[in-house]
Amino acid sequence: MFQLLEYGVRGLLSGAVYGLLALPMSLLFLTTGTIDFAVGAYALIAAAVAVTVGGVAGFAAGIGAALLAAALMALVFVLLKRRGNEDSITVALASFGLAVGIASLVLWRWSTQAFVLPSFATFWDVGGIRISPQGFINLGIALAMVGLLYVVLYRTDLGRMMRAAAVNPRGAELAGIPVTRVQCGAFLAGGAVAGLAGLLIVCSSGLDYTIPLPLTLAGFGAAIIFGIRSPLRGFAGGAAMGIVEAVSAGYASSVVASLVPSLFVLAVLSAQFFFQSRFSGDRP
Amino acid sequence: MKARRYLARTVLGWAAGVLLGLGAQAAEPIRIGVVLSTSGPAASFGIPERDALVLATEHVNAGGGVNGRRIELFHYDDKTNPTEAARGVTQLVASHKVVAIVGPGTGGGALAAGPVAERLKVPLLAPAATIGVTDRKHSFFPWIFRVGVDDSKVVHGILADMARHGLKRVGIFHQEDAYGKAGADYARSVAADLGVEIVEVVSVPYNAIDVGAQATRLRNARPDAVLLQVASTPLATAYVKTAEQIGLKAVTYAGAAMVQKTFVDSVGKAGEGIRVTSIGNLAHDPSPSEAKFAEVVKKAGRTPGGWMELIGADAIMAIVAAAGKIPGEPTGPAMRDAIESLCGFAQYTRGKTCLSSDYHEVLNESSLVITEIRDGEFRTRK
Repeated sequence: MFQLLEYGVRGLLSGAVYGLLALPMSLLFLTTGTIDFAVGAYALIAAAVAVTVGGVAGFAAGIGAALLAAALMALVFVLLKRRGNEDSITVALASFGLAVGIASLVLWRWSTQAFVLPSFATFWDVGGIRISPQGFINLGIALAMVGLLYVVLYRTDLGRMMRAAAVNPRGAELAGIPVTRVQCGAFLAGGAVAGLAGLLIVCSSGLDYTIPLPLTLAGFGAAIIFGIRSPLRGFAGGAAMGIVEAVSAGYASSVVASLVPSLFVLAVLSAQFFFQSRFSGDRP
Repeated sequence: MKARRYLARTVLGWAAGVLLGLGAQAAEPIRIGVVLSTSGPAASFGIPERDALVLATEHVNAGGGVNGRRIELFHYDDKTNPTEAARGVTQLVASHKVVAIVGPGTGGGALAAGPVAERLKVPLLAPAATIGVTDRKHSFFPWIFRVGVDDSKVVHGILADMARHGLKRVGIFHQEDAYGKAGADYARSVAADLGVEIVEVVSVPYNAIDVGAQATRLRNARPDAVLLQVASTPLATAYVKTAEQIGLKAVTYAGAAMVQKTFVDSVGKAGEGIRVTSIGNLAHDPSPSEAKFAEVVKKAGRTPGGWMELIGADAIMAIVAAAGKIPGEPTGPAMRDAIESLCGFAQYTRGKTCLSSDYHEVLNESSLVITEIRDGEFRTRK
């Protein structure tokens, strides 16, 4: 029983990062109705720049780099929109392209270097479970970001504008909402959050140029599992994925251990199909 | 009279020398293809291998080439994609008429390119560690050679070292792909013979960002030593950091993929005492022959790295040795026969190998070294 608890706690801590990665997905889907598959690449570029610059300035520069990359994506989004191409799949594919581009840029500039920062040498003993302070920092930051995003989305005028922009872009525009600007803002905010996730990963384990797609998929999985329209659910999805992953890694045979989380996502999504009204409540 | 004859002879000799020299200068270069993964996931191996073989080639050319002929390289990036690797072999032979190819650098790429090389009659020197690359049951076996040491020999060496040091209870931490799984399976199959017991095996996806659960499971099995069968630096780093945090005290052994400065830098103090298998020890305790290549690298203004550089350079040295044995025009089949007859060529990596019609390993286990990280350097264990 204690072992199960230990795996659960470790899973929750790693799931916090998945939850954080789910935020840009939810945010962007809420405001533009599309998905940004470059989220993992923002995390990578933030990590690469932060490690190169070093120190606190490095963290700031890393977030700056992620913002810059997200701004590029916003620009692509605006250009596509101007040309009358508002199909959400086109934007999603364009973001795929940007992700590949960023990964290539990192490979060209930093070669195959692994990006890692030294972590805490100490650990905390929580009820017999040894945990790095970094784990709690990750969880704290993820919870804070989720809370912040929730308040902005559902308790402020800006949040209302953001949601209106996705539900009915034309209507929102007629109502005087600067739809394109709001949507660009969502890209930038998503970039910053993804960059932050990249920095947390660099501090807790490490990453290299191959990380963008797996991170994007982890974030996407966490975002869709309980419903992409709410950042709270995105975070819950991330935590659930982390816990399932850790418990299966702890108990299942190594042959199937990594299959279990995918099966879990599949099971939850199929359940939603049968009990739609119960799981995916807030429809537009 | 005597003086005149002497003068005539000298002038003649000089003129002949110049003519011969010109002939050598004008001789066609020996065309060699290079199909490596310089982008995609295997680029961490492909790039240093390519850089080293370019340096080794320049060094050979600066020293007069092979039989007075320069070596000219033609590069193709297979993007870590087996289909591209096969296409690269076809293209280099068709467009550039290469007579031997270094690569492909991944097991999948080498296996995909093998049948192409067989059809085009050009030998491949693949720096790939996948065990099946030089399997004799392939029809293309005569055309493929391995420059490197296959995974099974690395794992075998590690388990034998564990047994020698009384580390009997062994845990395995492997990444979820052919490399990780084949290594773990091989370890299981030979553990009993080597006198060690595999007490736990955990696997991790290649891009996992957290290995807490896997490390915890290993710790609960109380191993004396843990074999890290991973090729991803972030993954190995995550393991080392996590092991320290959760109190997993087993001695860590890693395969050749971790002989990298980035690994040492990433793990910091937690890395002291980790044992890593390497092919030679170019950067820290080079053998006399390895030191020679380290000089070549330094002269080019670079820092000697790890075994990827050594096997890249030795692929060229094997080609140089083979081409040197061919009296006339080197062709694909002539190069193949010459490579197969190599025994103790001027390789940079320590060790010696003799190839034959059923042994196609250009390097072998005599090149392996078990190093230990001390003060941030891979020092050879005595």
